[in-house]
Formats: sequence, C-alpha cells, structure tokens
Amino acid sequence: MNYEHEFAYWMALSHLPNWGNEKINRLIIQIIDNYKISFAEFFELNAEELKHEFKLNDRQAKDIEQAKIDLPNYSFLSESLIEQGFRIIPVNSKEYSSTLKQNLKIQNAPPILYVKGNTKLLNEPSVAIVGSRRASERSLEFTRNIAKKCAENYEVVVSGFAKGVDKTALDATLEYNGYSIVVLPQGILTFGGGIKKYYKKIIEGDVLILSAYHPNAPWSVGLAMDRNKYIYGLAYTIYVAESDSKGGTWTGVLDGLKKGRKIFIRKPEPGEKNANNLLIMKGALPVDFYGNPVKENGNTIEEKLKEILSQKALPLEAVKNALKSEIEIQDKELRKVLTDIDFIDSKKIKGKTYYFLKTSLPKQGDLFSQ
Amino acid sequence: MTRSEAEQHLKKIFNLDHFYDDQWATISKILNGERILLIEKTGFGKSLCFQFPATLFDGLSIIFSPLIALMRDQVNYLNSVGVSAACVNSEQTPDENNAILQQARNGGLKILYIAPERQENQEWLDAVRHMNLSMIVIDEAHCISVWGHDFRPAFRRIINLVKMLPENFPVLATTATATDRVAQDIIQQMGKNAALIRGNLLRHNFSLNVVKVKDEDEKLVWLANFLSLAQGNGLIYTGTRVTTEIISSWLQFNGIHAINYNAGLDADSRKEIENGLQSNRWKCVVSTNALGMGIDKPDIRFIIHTQIPQSPIHYYQEIGRAGRDGKPTFLYLLFNPADMDLPTHFIKNSRPSIKKYETVINALKEEPLSEHELMQKTNLTQTQVRVIKADLLDQGIVKEVLYNKRKKYEYQFNAPPLDTEPFEKLREFKFHELRKMHEYVQTDSCRMEYLCQYLGDSNVGKCEKCDNELQTNHKVEMTDFWQRKINAFKTSYFPELTFSLKGTNLVDGVAASYYGMSNVGSVIHRCKYENGGDFPDFLLKLTLRAFRKKFGNQKFDLILYIPPTESGDLVKNFSEKISTVLGIPISHGLKKAIQTKPQKIYQNFVLKKNNVKNAFIYKPEEEINGKKILLIDDIYDSGATIKEIGKYLTKLGAPIIAPLVIAKTVGGDIK
Repeated sequence: MNYEHEFAYWMALSHLPNWGNEKINRLIIQIIDNYKISFAEFFELNAEELKHEFKLNDRQAKDIEQAKIDLPNYSFLSESLIEQGFRIIPVNSKEYSSTLKQNLKIQNAPPILYVKGNTKLLNEPSVAIVGSRRASERSLEFTRNIAKKCAENYEVVVSGFAKGVDKTALDATLEYNGYSIVVLPQGILTFGGGIKKYYKKIIEGDVLILSAYHPNAPWSVGLAMDRNKYIYGLAYTIYVAESDSKGGTWTGVLDGLKKGRKIFIRKPEPGEKNANNLLIMKGALPVDFYGNPVKENGNTIEEKLKEILSQKALPLEAVKNALKSEIEIQDKELRKVLTDIDFIDSKKIKGKTYYFLKTSLPKQGDLFSQ
Repeated sequence: MTRSEAEQHLKKIFNLDHFYDDQWATISKILNGERILLIEKTGFGKSLCFQFPATLFDGLSIIFSPLIALMRDQVNYLNSVGVSAACVNSEQTPDENNAILQQARNGGLKILYIAPERQENQEWLDAVRHMNLSMIVIDEAHCISVWGHDFRPAFRRIINLVKMLPENFPVLATTATATDRVAQDIIQQMGKNAALIRGNLLRHNFSLNVVKVKDEDEKLVWLANFLSLAQGNGLIYTGTRVTTEIISSWLQFNGIHAINYNAGLDADSRKEIENGLQSNRWKCVVSTNALGMGIDKPDIRFIIHTQIPQSPIHYYQEIGRAGRDGKPTFLYLLFNPADMDLPTHFIKNSRPSIKKYETVINALKEEPLSEHELMQKTNLTQTQVRVIKADLLDQGIVKEVLYNKRKKYEYQFNAPPLDTEPFEKLREFKFHELRKMHEYVQTDSCRMEYLCQYLGDSNVGKCEKCDNELQTNHKVEMTDFWQRKINAFKTSYFPELTFSLKGTNLVDGVAASYYGMSNVGSVIHRCKYENGGDFPDFLLKLTLRAFRKKFGNQKFDLILYIPPTESGDLVKNFSEKISTVLGIPISHGLKKAIQTKPQKIYQNFVLKKNNVKNAFIYKPEEEINGKKILLIDDIYDSGATIKEIGKYLTKLGAPIIAPLVIAKTVGGDIK
C-alpha cells in the first residue's frame, strides 16, 4: 500500500498536542473505520461537525483546526524525511509491528513509527534486553549471553540505546551477527551520529532505528522513560539483566507483569545489590546466567507476606526475618513493598510500625498482643 | 469570487483591467484548491496567475524558481505595487536570507521566491515548518521531466513534496515549453488529477532564419557583417565557454561592442553583465545558454545561435527570450555540418560508464560520503559524480541525508540494482530530438510551423516571415579581406587566465594559445612525452607576444617557473630564454617540498588541490619579499598549482604574481 500522499495527515494527527496515543488512535479509527471518510474529507469538517460527529470538545476541535493549518508544513517535513531515507509507518500498515500492536493495544500503541533500516525486523520474533544504565559487569555479561542466544535463534533484539545494558545488548547482538531494533528516546532526525556509527549494519539490514516521537524532538528524560513501553511492547519476550527498586526498568517490569507479560530476570548471586529478587517475588521468572529458566518454589512475595502476616501484626524487622530464607531485602525496599500491597495495612504503636492483613481483621487486642 | 470581482481587485493592486481567459481559468482553479499545469509562451503573463491569487490568500505562497534574475525582477515589481515579496537565493548573504526567512515565519510576506535546491537546505526546512503556507508554485516546470530539454535533479524533490501536500492545497506549475510528452509526464507526476491549460505557441513577430556555412571562419565573417549592420541589441549563443571568449574577442577586434558571459564567471561579473544587458550597454552579449533564461527584457531584437541546439524544444526555449515586446525580431541559426559532432558527443557521453556507477555505489556501501568526499575516494570528475548521484537518487539506490547541515549520500538497505534501461531510452530519445533539430535546419517549409508542431501546437499555419517563406537564401562570401582579418585575429588572440582567489596577490595571467586551437598542443605533447626536445622558438615568440599584449610595459623583478613533475628541464630552459629576451632575472629557487603526482592523473579539482597542497618551497625565502613575479609554466589546466604557489608567494611578501603559460586546456574540470 502506498501511503505517501497521506503522510502529512498521519503526522498532523499523531502529533496532536497532549492528546495521548489512545485518543489519537480512537479518532483515527473513527475516521477510517466508522465514518469511512478520507483524511482530506475529515480535515474539511468544521468545528461544529467535529464536536457533534466526533464528540470532540472545544479544545480538541481547535487542535484539529491548527493541525489543518500545519498540514502543508508536515508535507515539507515528510518529504525531507523520505528523501533522507527514513520511512513512516502508520499503525494500519502491514509493516507496522503486530507484536507492538498486540502488546500495547489501542491505549498505548503509537499511531505512526519513524524508522530507518530493515523494516522486516518489525515482524520477526523479538526479545527485549533491558536493565540499568549502571549495571554491574555481571549483568552486562548476562546481556551478552542473551544477545548471543538471540542471534543464534534468529530473534531480533530490541533495546533502547541507553548506556549500560541497552548499548551492550545492541553491540553484542551485532557482534554475533544478529538483528537489532533500536528504540530512540528522541526524534529520528536528531540521531545523525548514531546512524553514522551503525551505518554499515543499517544498510546491510541488521539494524532498524525506530522512533515514535516527532522527528525533531530532542532527547529528554521524559521521553527516555516513555519509550520503555515501546521497548517492552516491541518484544515478544523480555529479559531483565538488572533492576533497581525504582527507575525505568523497575516501573517497566512491574507494568509488564501487571499486563500479564512473560518477563525473565537474571537470578542474582547472593550479596548483589539490586531488586532482581524482589521482581522475581513479584512474578518475574528467574533465569540463570545463560538465560535458562531456574526453578523457584513458586510463591510470590504477596503470597509469602500473606502467610507471614496471617497470624498477627508484625513490625518490619520481624517480616524481614521471616522472609530471610527466600530473599535478602533492604529495609527501605521492604517498606515500600508493604505499603504498595493493597491487602496490607499498617499502624503505628509506641513509635513502631506494625503491618497486618486488612481482611481477616480480628479484634485489635488479639492482633497486637505480643 | 467572480471574475468581475476579481478584476476589480486586479485593477486596484496591479492596475490592469482584465484577465485573459486562460489566466482567469487558471486563477479560479487555484482559488478552488486545485492543481494546474499552465503552458503559455513567454510574455503571456503567467506570473500574474500566481501573483494575483497570492494576494488573496491569508498565508504565504512559495514560488520555486531556478532563475535568480527572474526572482529579482519579480520581487522588485511586486514590491513596487505594494505586495510584500522577497527571494532567498545563493547570491544573497546568509544573514540576508535568514532575515527573509524570519520575515516569512512572522507572516510578513505574501510571496517568497526560492530556488528548488533550497529544499535540500537545513535552515530552509527548519524555517518552512513554521510558515503559514497557502500555495506552491513551480516555475520552469519542464525541469521536472527527464523528457524535457532541461531536466534538473533538484526538481525531483519539489515534485515529491507536491505528492505529499494535502489534497486541496493549490499547486501551480508553469512553463513556456513542453511537448505533449513532457506535459503528460508533469501532469502524471503532480498527481491528484492536475488540470492542463495550454495556450498557443506562435510568436507572430519572429523571423526565423538558418545560415548554412562551410566552416567556423565563415561564421565569424557572417557575425561581423551582421552585427555591423544590425538594428537593436541581442544575444549570441555558442556551444562552449571557450567559444564565448573567442567570438566576443573577434567582434571586439572588428570594433563591435560585445562582451562574453558564461557560468565560469564569478557572481559579481555575471550580475554586472545581466544589468548591462537590461540597459543595452553592449550591442550583443556572447553567451552559453546560461544567460537570458527568465530575464524580463522586452526588446531583445535578435538571437544568433552559432551552434545547433540539442533539440527543437531547446531552440524554441532559447529564442523565446527575444522580442517580448511584440516588435519584429530576428533569429538566426548558423549551421556548419560539423556542428552535429558536439551535441552527438554530448548525448553519447551524457552518462559515465557502468563501472563508474559501481565505483560510487561501492564507496557508499562503506560509509556516507559528501560530493567532495566521493570525488576524493573515486577520482571521478565532479560532473561524473553529479550525474551518477542524480541517477542513483532517482532510482532510490542512495539517499541524500543531512549530517549537521552537510549533505551526504547513503546507500540504502534493500536498494534495487542499477537499472540502465532508462539511460538507453533517454539516449535514443535525445538522438531522435537532435535529428528533429537537424530536420529544422534542412526543411524548406515554414520554420515557425515546424517548431510549433513539434511542440504540440498543430494549428498555427504559416508565419510568412521565415527565410523559407520569404525565399531568402543566406550566404557567406569568404573574401581576401576577411581571410586576412581572420588570420590577424588568430595570431593576436591570447586566452586569459582568470583567478578569483581572495587574499592572494595572484593577478590574472595569459596563455599564448588554447591547447587544442592550433598545433600548439601537439607540439607541446611531442616535446614533453615523445622526447621532442626543447619547446620550439615559435612557441617562444607566441608566448612573448601574449606577454606583451597582456602586460605591456609592466615591470617585473623576477621570473620563477613551476618545478616539473616528470618532463625534465623543458620549462626551465624555456623560462631562461624568456628571461634573456625580457631582461628579467630568473631564479631556480622554487622547488617541490614533497613529491607530487602529475596533476593530469587526477580527474577533479579536489584531488588536484590536495596533490599540490603545501607542495612548494622557495629558498632563500627572504628573496621574494617585495618582488613582482612573473610565474611561468607550460600548460594551464585546473589552475590548482598556480593558485597554491600564488598563495605561498603572497605569504613570502610578493606584491604581484602574474602567470604566463604556453597553453590553456579546454574543458578541464575547472572550478
């Protein structure tokens, strides 16, 4: 299918300010599937029709009007992109990653992708390798092991071009002659240096550079956090090399687990300072140094805590002691876990915090008797 | 808006009473957000078709035009009638251009003229993103089509842009010359059912003539005769840059006020000549076809071609610049059967060999490269690199990418293999067009009718003004008088060596001859490469005569000669003889600091310049300070060596460095 003459429309809609992917996707579905009109016809509608037919509010109708004025400007921008060898892939294109669409759904899937390189990689079996920017040497070694495995299995490695695990994943994959998708935390036109560095791999079809943001958007912390969802979304399987108990990897994994994604995580050696074990107890699947699954006794940290607290309320040290055989955990992290779980409540007694189960709430006297 | 409402508006702004029907048809389509190709002859009033609606739109109208002179004229005119217009072009400073872009972003302009090449420029692309746009116009739209007479690769991006514009965004393409084939090609490329509006092509005031001659000397005679009698002012178009020099010198030799113009001149000189042309400062300007396109001069009374154009459409386009005022205008084509060689050669060699394409592709498979870097890596000429990269871009094999505002070429993943079939087809087509041009020369029926029919306008009838219709038979008689005059001219004509090199004391020099103009080239070659001994005395005499003509009684303090790479003492011995005759001391102190390769193995100026960079040294250095220097060499090609030495000697304190050489080559890769 040739979308060329529609690029300006796609771009104008995709970059509607502060709409979010979901609203934009729903609008596009309404235009294409429900009303079955062309983009040109849509942009001919007046504010009243937009509000009435498309249920837009005043501000949204104004945004569409502005987008209409911007259309010729987007034509210039799209011409410049295409001329420079970038491709624009709308969400309804066959080339669009079906994994991404399935994982992120209408709520989060980006309406268009800007890419350079081998677009076939978008629909190959894919693996994300994620982890901290300041990962340990062991985590980086693990990353290389997974990358090698992926290269051998013809799986595409998805990573984010950040320092640490991301860059190691990319470089190791290419070292083992594998394929890789690089998901940018910035607009694709601002990545000249990176494209030059991976030029040969790009033109040989081993690498695809991908961005879901406005082509001129500069790198930012916000986008660096935001694009994690696209890394997870583009992957069929996810490997975590190392995670802290906060930050991009942590929230990414938790979010993935909530959505029922299968996430493999490196089982740490005793004494490692990271939150890998905690994530294992939250449902991530432990793997060894080479990515092979490790048997766990199966209880999640939620189940374990339910068991520990089923008898009586306990202070933090007591909970930590009870968990000791399963997981080494810092006070701060444990406190956070306990506060986050919705069936656990806490109460301060004589300057000490006690944790207890909200449900089976016996008489207070019993519960807090020492 | 109705036509009468529009015409009221027209009166108010442009002080014109009515539109022509074709003008109004075009304008009403533009106002309706349509795409139109408008083909009308020169002088019809095509520009009003976009200038008028531009004044009605809220936003900015962008006019892509390849012709700087035309942009300037139209901007001046629009500003004089109170329409805010400006142009961005390479002859203005970056600051001027940026100020104009800023004005356009702020909504302070109605019309902005820019060259199609701008679409490759980062500043422009950044700025245009923030402009409120209302219309796009492509002037000289025949440049879009490879089947046209002046296909330009930069237009490829403009047409790609048009394809991506919103459906109801008005786009106007205009041209004065398009065959049916070209028109259909443009329409198809514009997409979205672009409409075609085509006017008639007959120029009622044109008298077309062909003068058949036996050789080049006869052309010179005819020109001198004609120009001493001709009314008004006009243009002479020649085939090459060198011929512009020779013919203008010949005319000057005959006391006719002529000047030469070609793309090799610097921007200031070109502008100066364009202005002088407007005010009829010369009887005629002798030019390659780089001059005149888009110059809005109403009273060009004659255009003479000394070389057969490549096709009837080239010819119609080039003569189209004459007689816009509608008064009688005379067109002459001088034809010598040998003239077919030049266009035949051009068509045959319009594309480099496939191997050279592969060299470029392989270089780009390694890394992204700029044009200069490609020239360095491949040792191809600039022209070859440009032709190859335009084809590779066209076929999607490479893309043009901006790296920090610098253009580089990237090979593409999944690129198709090079397809040479289009090259063959185009070559065949060009030969067909050249045959048609030859037919124009040979025809004995009405010439205007022949041209118009070729251009797709079949109901023009006879012009009753061409030589065939009037049964005029142009003839040239080579008398003794003219023969002597031509010989006198040839022995006193010495090619100039011009340098536009700021920051050095290098002055323009002179050559005794063109390398290929007489036997000079072959004599030099025999001496240099076939052990033919020292340069013979007739070269010495010729060189001394060139020196006297150029430098007269100017004093020089020292003669230096350029140390050779491989031809031994020829230049040294030659320079010593000159030193003796002129009584100027000679020094042998200019030496090579490093071993250079012969310049001729390098095909382009980038490599030539690199080869001689910091290659020369003079001992003792202090000897140069304050000396006026005559710098001698045998052959002048790219000038890179002389420029390098000029820079070096300037640094050592030489107030004047004047080059004197035996022969200047023609058609080298000179920039």
